[in-house]
Amino acid sequence: MDKFEPKIVAFFCNWCSYAAADLAGTSRIQYPPNVRTIRVMCSGRVSELLILKAFALGADGVLVGGCHPGDCHYMKGNLSARRRVTGLKPFLNAIGISSDRLRLQWIGASEGLKMAETISDFTDTIRNLGPNPLKRRQK
Amino acid sequence: MKGDMYLAQSSDDAILKKSEHGGVVTSLLKFALESKRVDAVLAIKARNGNRYDGIPVLITDPETVIETAGSLHCASPNIARFIKEYLNGAFDMKIAVVCKPCDARGIIELVKRTQINMDNLTLIGLNCTGTLPSAPAKRMFHEEFEVNPSDVIREDLEEGKLTITLKDGTEKQKDLDELEQKGYGRRENCRRCDINIPIMADIACGKWGTDGKKATFIEVCSEKGSDFIEKAIEAEYIKVEKPDSRAIESRKKRNEEEILLARKWQEKDFASLREMSTEEKFSYWLGEFSRCIKCYGCRNACPICYCKDCILEADRGIVAPGEIPPDVIFPMIRSVHVMDSCVNCGQCEDVCPMDLPLARLILMLNRELGNIFKNEPGMDVNAPIPLKSVTDKELTVADVEIQF
Ligand code: SF4
Ligand code: SF4
Ligand code: SF4
Ligand code: FES
Repeated sequence: MDKFEPKIVAFFCNWCSYAAADLAGTSRIQYPPNVRTIRVMCSGRVSELLILKAFALGADGVLVGGCHPGDCHYMKGNLSARRRVTGLKPFLNAIGISSDRLRLQWIGASEGLKMAETISDFTDTIRNLGPNPLKRRQK
Repeated sequence: MKGDMYLAQSSDDAILKKSEHGGVVTSLLKFALESKRVDAVLAIKARNGNRYDGIPVLITDPETVIETAGSLHCASPNIARFIKEYLNGAFDMKIAVVCKPCDARGIIELVKRTQINMDNLTLIGLNCTGTLPSAPAKRMFHEEFEVNPSDVIREDLEEGKLTITLKDGTEKQKDLDELEQKGYGRRENCRRCDINIPIMADIACGKWGTDGKKATFIEVCSEKGSDFIEKAIEAEYIKVEKPDSRAIESRKKRNEEEILLARKWQEKDFASLREMSTEEKFSYWLGEFSRCIKCYGCRNACPICYCKDCILEADRGIVAPGEIPPDVIFPMIRSVHVMDSCVNCGQCEDVCPMDLPLARLILMLNRELGNIFKNEPGMDVNAPIPLKSVTDKELTVADVEIQF
């Protein structure tokens, strides 16, 4: 079997995490090439639907990056994201999709290094978990 | 005052005679109409005298209220959705609603979602220890009780026993637990239900604490309920006395016993879902989900599913049209959209033609989320919806994980 390379869908907030990923790039900090980034205006945009759709389409992991509490451009969008991720975890566990496949991280615009570390660490976690079981269902 | 308790009886002899427990609810409904406090009352009655076919009825004539007297245990109409869909959410009519705890809780969740106008409602709650699914109940009466189901004129669920009364006056009793081990007995959600006294309604009526007397124990649960009861007493529709401490204590004890029993069922039902390995859970749920025929019944019945334009409709780009079974995204979204507010009414399971164990999954999740967000749905119109609200306080919690 081919070595399993996780596919991770990352929803990054335009104002912080997306900028941090950019910064990591321009500062030439290495991180694994496993993430497919989707830029959103705020982590508060990341509904349950977007997360579950990413899983349904075969993402092995979903990473949500938002501004630190207090820094969100829309005040409390990131707090909504935190509640949603908190609520989705028991659901994912219940139906046999490990909740470790979903991670929320606050990554400010200047935290290029934290971005690289987060991606490396999350990629390792997903690598250990193996492929998203939803990929096995017949289409 | 909120918190007041009464032992009550109807002042109307005709009602009293027809009643099981003092005719209080019937008299209160009559009072509500005759005093013009409400435009109509919403209650349940047996369609064409068939107690296995209980239907909601909207009554405006005080003289016909008596047709709704007595409890129908083999019926569980969807009161909350009925008010939303067919009575315009009570936005243009004042209604007194006779409701079980889960009905009242569904109503409260729809009030939070601005689909029902609470100002126009008076909720007359009834204690409930469960309802029976109607078709299996008939089979059970036939096979286990060896009676003709159409001879049953009354059912009673008390202290772990199901007692039925027949036309000729004979009573038959069986152990509820034994029946339920055989797959009969109450609806599954009712077994798990640990909210048996409707304290979220305006008043809670029941027979616990009446000590076999032909009376109803009333607990006043809101200021609206208090005003209602006081006026009904003043107008001499009901006679009341104060329950003594022994009555209050025995009611409390009965309630606690029921809660204990329900929690046992919860543990048992949830354990079967929790003790599987991750892999087993996945295969189990994928298997269940793949039996769905996308009839939208669960969504149409659920009091939490209130959206005018549901995201699961074929034209919304999520669920492909004409595909059966639908992709797993369908049951996944249905579940996560309601899991923070499920009131364990069991309507989704009642309507599912494929018998998917939806309420079991969703209630389990609801209790897990309840522990995290410190929330119990349907108890308080002012309680925020956990996954649809945030507080300023959370701004100061720096971590990605949060304790509420
Ligand atoms: S999910 Fe099922 S049990 Fe829960 S509120 Fe909706 S219909 Fe009732
Ligand atoms: S499934 Fe979701 S979108 Fe559809 S009615 Fe229910 S809550 Fe609304
Ligand atoms: S009621 Fe059952 S079959 Fe119908 S859509 Fe819901 S889960 Fe599917
Ligand atoms: S703007 Fe970045 S999380 Fe809201």
